[in-house]
Amino acid sequence: MDRLATNMPSLFSPKSVAVIGASDNMNKLGFHVMKSLTNGKFSGKIIPINPTSNKVMGINAYPSINDYNDLIDLAIVVLPAKLVPDIFQECVDKGIKGIVLITAGFREIDDPAGANLHEKTADIVNRAGIPVIGPNTFGMINLNGNLNASFTPEFSNLKKGNICLVSQSGGISHLLAFMAMELNVGFSKIIGLGNRLNVDFDRMINYLMTDPDTKVIALYIEGIDDVRKLIETARKNRGQKPIIAYKTGKGKVGNQASMSHTGSIAGRHELYRSAFNQAGILNIDSTETLLDTAKAMSLCPLPEGPAMAVLSGQAGPSMAACDLLESEGLKIDGFTRKTQEKINDLLPPLALRANPVDMGPAWYDSSAMQGIIRAVMDDENVSGILFLMMFASANVDALKGVRDILIKWAQQKPVISCILSPPGIWDEEINELEKFRAIVNYPTPERAAMAMVNLWRYKRIKETMELN
Amino acid sequence: MEIIKNALKEGRTALSEHESKEILASYQIPVSKEIVVDNAETLMKAVQEIGYPLVLKGCSSEISHKTEKGLIRLDIRNDNEAKEAFEEIVRGMGDVKGSVLVQEMVKGQRELVIGLTRDPQFGPCVMFGLGGIFTEILKDISFRLAPLEKKDALDMMQDIKGHKILDAIRGMEAADKDMLVDILINVGKIGLENEAVKEIDINPVILSGSRPVAVDALIVLEEPKIS
Repeated sequence: MDRLATNMPSLFSPKSVAVIGASDNMNKLGFHVMKSLTNGKFSGKIIPINPTSNKVMGINAYPSINDYNDLIDLAIVVLPAKLVPDIFQECVDKGIKGIVLITAGFREIDDPAGANLHEKTADIVNRAGIPVIGPNTFGMINLNGNLNASFTPEFSNLKKGNICLVSQSGGISHLLAFMAMELNVGFSKIIGLGNRLNVDFDRMINYLMTDPDTKVIALYIEGIDDVRKLIETARKNRGQKPIIAYKTGKGKVGNQASMSHTGSIAGRHELYRSAFNQAGILNIDSTETLLDTAKAMSLCPLPEGPAMAVLSGQAGPSMAACDLLESEGLKIDGFTRKTQEKINDLLPPLALRANPVDMGPAWYDSSAMQGIIRAVMDDENVSGILFLMMFASANVDALKGVRDILIKWAQQKPVISCILSPPGIWDEEINELEKFRAIVNYPTPERAAMAMVNLWRYKRIKETMELN
Repeated sequence: MEIIKNALKEGRTALSEHESKEILASYQIPVSKEIVVDNAETLMKAVQEIGYPLVLKGCSSEISHKTEKGLIRLDIRNDNEAKEAFEEIVRGMGDVKGSVLVQEMVKGQRELVIGLTRDPQFGPCVMFGLGGIFTEILKDISFRLAPLEKKDALDMMQDIKGHKILDAIRGMEAADKDMLVDILINVGKIGLENEAVKEIDINPVILSGSRPVAVDALIVLEEPKIS
């Protein structure tokens, strides 16, 4: 392993962090980074570096990292770009293991001086084998380590989980993080790669494959220099941990001047999609689906087959879910005779008792609801369950009735749900069910269905990988 | 490859259909049976060897879109039609340097496209999709980066929306997927082993019964950059 790779764990789990450019002035990013570290309850040592103050946020500050006598693992740099090469040299001399470079003004700017600075800076850290997140990034957060090394203190409010988001865009990272707070999705880490001085997607994937906190790897990609390297890395690790990717930038079409059809049709976007496919990366088409899919993958097992059971309190939502499931290749077939007989015993003939099952008539009879759910769970022809229930005043207690059986089942086959009530009515019950991993809940039947579809797609990818 | 080297030496940016197929054939890709002719005498000899019905085509590295230029005559059934078509094609080609191809008429209702493009970032990428006029209209295609494994080749066939065209449908045999897999893998190989090959179009690949045959082909060249 190269030196840079061996330093990756220290980058994400440092014992001591220096903030170079720490400040008490809230108009400076150095203030917000300090706030992230302190609010995030980082348990290691925080070392503010500021040439003019003795203290920042009440913590002892030092004029430079050399004035601090103990070891420093991680440096977060928020100084102007032109100062960065000298600071990096100091970091090398100090024996720092990792750097988060928030500062912008490198190769992303029009001025060629930016590119020169980029090269010069990269050279210093590459020789010393120091991994750098950034430049031009909000930073990164390692939730399990209580390390919020970003300029957004609110990231610390995120739930801890096992999804790692690696993103090329700060805006998208913020968007997904805020959506995740609403959707009750937990992360292990969020990494803003920014302009990738020496830590690119391929290096992150290599690291995350060994990261015990991460089970699902979600990528947001705009464009990369060395695509082949990413593909080879993903391919080498295929089938181990799911990698899902949302790539934007469809605009660039193929070479119109090309003499052949193949040349003129081959848009960069098609090639990305195909290459991801080939490497076992699941292609995703929106931020919403990226988050929804990551959530399902982090909590559910993969369905063994395409046959789904749809259990619904009302017919409409189940129609919407069934349409989507079937159009994406999943099946809503009949149950085994044994299952169907049990359901027929529990539901009156006026209900739709075949798959999708209309459980409406069983609303007031929790033992009937439990019986139906149990029968479907045990059906060997069913590989996944979609459970859809809208609140109605008359069924306010319906969730209580199915709570225990769902909790006890604990995702032996995937159970994905769309359970919805006006704010405040079922919130706690849904939260509790999600906490116990009894359900993975979504705000619409289509999103719930799509999450199941993507579990199945990944299952297929995994199967073909294993065949090879 | 000699053909490619010579073409580059002559400053050409493409191979003729026949040259392109010679390259394909050397990579075990099944191509239509054909003979190059330059005059009425060789035409009649070739016609006898290929047998009716057959196809006549203008063949030159300077012509890439033969259909649009009216340089293809299909389903020729006798000597008179052959002579007439030959003269028309020669006239149609005008001053363009080239000859005429006498080609077996490959029968089959299903047309596929197989291609290759060399992308500056991705390197050689193999394409598969619906062929003939549908290539441009539907763009129902998929790509894989070379080198392809068998699984990649199978996957990319399954990837197109119209993948059922390969099944046994309407009394037609299912396509020989093993043959298609080999073709796709070998097209990738051509890209990997010949830096000067910039693009390949094999369109159409006609399913003759279950058997895919390259009926038209174009290889675009570019002097490899010395890095």
